[in-house]
Parts: sequence; structure tokens; C-alpha cells
Amino acid sequence: MSDASIAARFDPLVQGAAGEKIVVRGLNFFYGASRAIKNVNVSLRERKVTAFIGPSGCGKSTLLRVLNRMYDLYPNQRAEGEVLLDGQNILAPGLDLNLLRARVGMVFQKPTPFPMSIYDNIAFGIKLYEKLPKSEMDSRVETALRRSALWEEVKDKLGASGLSLSGGQQQRLCIARTVAIRPEVILLDEPCSALDPISTAKIEELIDELTEDYTIAIVTHSMQQAARVSAFTAFMYLGELIEFDETSKVFTAPREKRTQDYVTGRFG
Amino acid sequence: MTEHIVRAYDKELDELGRHIAEMGGIAEKMVIDAMDALGGVDLVLAQQVIATDPRLDALQREIEEQAVLTIARRQPMAIDLREIIGAIRIAGDLERVGDLAKNIAKRTVTIGPEARLPRALVGLKHMNELAMELMKDVLDAYAQRDVERAQAVWTRDAELDALEDSVFRDLLTHMMEDPRNISFCAHLLFCSKNIERIGDHATNIAETVVYLVTGETLPSDRPKGRPDFSVASLGTIGQ
Repeated sequence: MSDASIAARFDPLVQGAAGEKIVVRGLNFFYGASRAIKNVNVSLRERKVTAFIGPSGCGKSTLLRVLNRMYDLYPNQRAEGEVLLDGQNILAPGLDLNLLRARVGMVFQKPTPFPMSIYDNIAFGIKLYEKLPKSEMDSRVETALRRSALWEEVKDKLGASGLSLSGGQQQRLCIARTVAIRPEVILLDEPCSALDPISTAKIEELIDELTEDYTIAIVTHSMQQAARVSAFTAFMYLGELIEFDETSKVFTAPREKRTQDYVTGRFG
Repeated sequence: MTEHIVRAYDKELDELGRHIAEMGGIAEKMVIDAMDALGGVDLVLAQQVIATDPRLDALQREIEEQAVLTIARRQPMAIDLREIIGAIRIAGDLERVGDLAKNIAKRTVTIGPEARLPRALVGLKHMNELAMELMKDVLDAYAQRDVERAQAVWTRDAELDALEDSVFRDLLTHMMEDPRNISFCAHLLFCSKNIERIGDHATNIAETVVYLVTGETLPSDRPKGRPDFSVASLGTIGQ
């Protein structure tokens, strides 16, 4: 892969690719005795979208869960290797997990708003990390909702329950909740799989805007979505990273046959 | 190539390939017939070539429509995407080849009554043989996804350019010898240009085949045997 490639020159998603925000080195992951990720090396470029694609069970969601140590919540799951966030190994023992998850936020497949008001859905997370006066909290909530392209739709009903929103709005609320804490990296685990095409388009538009400030990793089953939103794409298969390159390259002329078979629908 | 999980997808791509092959066959025959008509002053054959062109145009439109439909329906990626884009491009080139053959046929009809000087046609026939070789090779290269063969066509087009140069000098000489040759030879000049362009289309197709198979594009500057039409180069003609 080279930044000077023809594809990169024409690809606004890749242009101006900066340094590496997260570097994964020699990562292995175990569910009990079974190894779900096998010696993966990959990196996330700062303020770019990196997509992870691959058939079910290839380890892409697992990899995402390693990036903010979500797996720590479960016994018998462990990771080996290195995951460097700005050069600091987040797999090291003694790391402050709350702080890590504030820096690396996550949005899940199904929208998961808290059963509380729209306002409180956003304020709740902020309160965990900061104590703010009401006026400042109001502005933080508004900023987060604007950032997530939800403000115009909910500004008159901030007191309504988060659960009263549509699926697409709920998902944007979850993104707003993540953004409100001002993370550096946002992990999206199939954020659109439960959404209709219009809501999906809104989320994709949002992802595009968020790259101004955030480094984003997205796991998606939709190849077209990966092609639309990401600058870089990693193809995983059976726990291995098969190919990692500029998205434009992966979807027009991939190097590996297995990647080609997968993106063209020949797998099986 | 492994088959798609969705078999209808394979069928659609196969059909595109078959249509291209059909277009290729028609275009080749049109050029050969056009040249035979010119050589033998066969006006009936020339009219046949002209009448064949709409069939080629219709096939091109069919390929384009089918390609657009497949893109909309399957959102093709990687090799499939290159295959479909390649089909659209090659169909365009073949349609142009048909137009150029038709143009030769039309000129044959125009100059029929005043056709003279069979020796003026020798170089032209030579050019056409080479152009047809390139077309045949590149269509085979497409059918067999043969990069080396496509690259050979791409390189050999320079020979055709060089031949055009010598045909140009020949025709100019004939025109200088006898002003009655001018009108006829001017038409032949256009014919030689047409054949040279057919070679260019073969080259385009060669580039498309390489892109289709490898995903890489050939360098933009191709080896050239450009005819030298400068006044200085013509200094010796007619002396």
C-alpha cells in the first residue's frame, strides 16, 4: 500500500491520511481455549474510517471489542499481543478501563438507549466523568445531539423517553451519547444492520462528518457500506487478517484471492 | 474462476461476454468486407457493410443496458466490477470499429465509378491485414483473459502507425503524378486513417483486457510509430 497510489489520489476519504492512532501488533484472542484472532497486525489511521469485513465468525467484532477491552467484562476471555493507543499498550495490566472507554467509545448493532429521557441519555455518560453546572451540561448535550445530526428532530422533546424515538434516531442517540464524552476513537459494531436505508444514509453521513474529529473503526456486513464510508478496509477470515489496504483498492482490485472471492460473493 | 453464490449473477456476466464476442465477430467481418469491397469495387458488398452497422449499434446499446442493470442489481465489486466496466468500454470500441468500416464502405460507394490505380491499394490492404490481425488477437486475448497477448497487441500497434506513414507517402506520390488521381487518393487517405484508428481501438481493447485481468492500468504513453507528416519529411516525394 502506498499513499501515492492512483486510488488514494482520487479518494477524498483517504486524502491527507495522518499518523496511526491505534496500532495492533501480534494480537491473539482466546475465548477459553479457542483462538478467535490469530496473530493480527493492523493499524487505524488518525481521523480516518477503517472498515472490518469478513464472514460471520471471522473475528472482526472480537477485534473491535479488544480495542476498548470490552471483553474484560467476561471471564475466560483474554488477549495477547499489543494494542497501542497513541503508543500506549492498552492491554497492559493496571490500565484504567473507565478512562480507556472514555477515550475509545463504542456503538452497538442494536440501538441501546437507556430507559430515560433523551437529555439524560446524553448527560448520564458525561456525569460519570465530569461535574458540570446545568448551563454547561445543556450546551454539551446540545452539541452532542447536533454532532449526531439529531438535534433538529428532538430539540423540542428532550424530556421524552429515548425509547420513544425511531430505530434510526435511537442509533444516532447512542452515537450522540458516545460523542458527548469526547472520545478519540469511536468503534461501530454493525451500527446500521437494524436500520432502514434512509436512517442508514443518515448514519453514514454522520460517520463522514465525525472523521473531522475522530478515528473510526466500523464492523459491517454490508460490503457496499464499507466501500462507501471507509478509507481503509481490513478483510478477516477465520481469525486471520487476510488483506488490509485502501478501500478503493480492496473493492476494485484486491491482491488476495480470498478477498476477491468474498467481496464478489463467491465465497462458500 | 469460482462461481458466485447467486448463480444468476454468473449468467448475467456470461451473457455480457457472449455479446462482446458477437460484436467482435460482426465488427471484424465488417472491416474485412469493407476492404474487399474497396479492393474489388464491389458496391453490393459495400452496401451490405453499411446495412450491418445498425446491428452493431443495437448490440452495443444492449450491452450497456445490461451492464447498467447488473450494476444496479448486484453492486459488483473487484473482478466483477472490472469485467462489467471492461464490457462497456470494449463495446464502445467495437461500435466505433464498425463505424470506421462503414465509412470505408461509404467511400467505396462514392468512388466506385472513378476507381482506378489498383496499385494504390496494395499498401492499404497490407495495413488492413495487420489491423485485422490485431483485432483478432485482442478479441482472443479478451476471450481467454490473456494479458500477455493483449500486451503484444498494445505494442504492435506501432507497426500499423509506421505502415500508415508509408501509405501516406505512396498516395501523395500518386496524387503528384497525375491530378486525376487526387479525388480517389484523397478518399484512400481517409480509408488509411480509418484503418489506423481501428488499430487504436484494438489497442484500447488491449488496455481494457489488461485492466480487467490485473486491475492495473498500462502506462499512458504507448510505443509509437507515428507517421511523420512534416513538410521536411516529404521533401523527396515526387522528385
